[in-house]
Amino acid sequence: MTGPRHADRPEHTLHPDQLEVAPGFQHEGLQGWIPELASEDDLREALEKAFDYRGDVTITRKDGTKLEGYIFDRVTGVTLGNSFVRLLPKDSNQRTKVAYSDIAALSFSGRDTAAGKSWEAWVKKYWEKKSTGEGQASLQPESLEE
Amino acid sequence: MPVPISQAWTVASYVLKQKIQGRKQYPLVLMLEPLYKCNLACAGCGKIQYPAHVLKQELSPEECFKAVDECGAPMVSIPGGEPLMHSQIEKIVEGLVARKKYIYLCTNALLLKEKLHLFKPSKYLTFSVHLDGQKEHHDFSVCREGGFDLAVEGVREALKQGFRVTTNTTLFDGADPSSVRAFFDEMMALGVEGMMLSPGYSYDKAPDQKHFLGRARTRRLFRAILSNRKPTWRFNQSMLFLEFLMGKRDFRCTPWGMPTYSIFGWQKPCYLLQDGYADTFNELMTTTEWDNFGTESGNPKCANCMVHSGYEASGVDYTFGSLKGLFAAAKATLFTKNEDDEAYRMLNEPVRPVHSYNPLVQIETPSNNLEETRA
Repeated sequence: MTGPRHADRPEHTLHPDQLEVAPGFQHEGLQGWIPELASEDDLREALEKAFDYRGDVTITRKDGTKLEGYIFDRVTGVTLGNSFVRLLPKDSNQRTKVAYSDIAALSFSGRDTAAGKSWEAWVKKYWEKKSTGEGQASLQPESLEE
Repeated sequence: MPVPISQAWTVASYVLKQKIQGRKQYPLVLMLEPLYKCNLACAGCGKIQYPAHVLKQELSPEECFKAVDECGAPMVSIPGGEPLMHSQIEKIVEGLVARKKYIYLCTNALLLKEKLHLFKPSKYLTFSVHLDGQKEHHDFSVCREGGFDLAVEGVREALKQGFRVTTNTTLFDGADPSSVRAFFDEMMALGVEGMMLSPGYSYDKAPDQKHFLGRARTRRLFRAILSNRKPTWRFNQSMLFLEFLMGKRDFRCTPWGMPTYSIFGWQKPCYLLQDGYADTFNELMTTTEWDNFGTESGNPKCANCMVHSGYEASGVDYTFGSLKGLFAAAKATLFTKNEDDEAYRMLNEPVRPVHSYNPLVQIETPSNNLEETRA
């Protein structure tokens, strides 16, 4: 079973062999977003975005329980009952599976971990350090402190 | 010979065995990612964009061994994350050496010098050190000043202690081919066994999304770099893959050639794309819809890819697929110069990245001298 793919890259009309640079992926600012899940399509679309998201999300199940973690897999079937996401919960290393049909709400609760680490951010930092004569410049890896 | 004869023999006999058994899709190198934590934050990397609780996770040595046994590939590449940050990396390496797997431990080498005592030199273990070019170019590429010097210090120490060391270099839009050639000279003078090259892949999750090479530019760049090759340069990879990068031959993607195992399981479909995970290697091989991937599939996510993880195994498979392939590989190995007047001219063209961004192209380096002209 395969479902809708990630949001596709921007359209390009050139043959791949003619491409000078890869078009790249355009990330939406999803941090803090709470999608409205009014229809099945809304839910599927939001979960696809959650699968692409570079941070944690919080799922509220229909029984009221909440699960916060990183979505690393999703399998989409014909019905919501046989579609599911798999998460690595924030407070456990046991992978957890949640059926789409059990999901009542979704929130992009975690920070986008790639935000602020763009090439432009690095170039800016590099020249700032150079102009002030400070020490060596670097982009910092993600902190392990939560 | 860029690799020991025993390694070449192991790989050749493994591939021939697959051919004799009629196996069309087989793994050549297992990409074993035992953690995602890294001590760099390269803007072009799409491997480490995870929350802290994911970055703290590690595969245990037992999980690594199970994956290696399940997969059966003769070579295991250990990328990450930074594998030298794994709390039990020496146990993982020890277990793989005991299994007689040829290991490429892919490291940025910031910790290499201080962790070397954990390992024993072996023909099965190679430190594949990530160096993206000459000093300023590497530091800029990995977004950390001083990274090159630390890595080279680690390389020197590893070589001194008798370890096998190669370099692995990823190139992005804006790379200066003359500087890359000068970098090859530096690395060979340093004494590394061989070098590996690949264009960068446009990871969806990488912070930077503007500077990944498209196929047309990749071919021109690698033609400029790899034509008129110096006899001192040694490459630790398929010569036919290098010809592919130069635009001299075409291959179809073989994403199953370098399957990836990480804390999430077996990554679908390949090392670069994350379209979900399988729990077993068999599930990966049997449930992935392979026809949906590769540039030839029309999948936009594969449009610019010419990366080793998709195409190097294609080169190896082609080599052992027919006498024609074997002859082509022998020719590419024996006659490495690839004389090309146009490529000389390309070396003198100014570097013009599509998105003007890289102040390094303005840095004067000794590579921009007359050494690279024919006169």
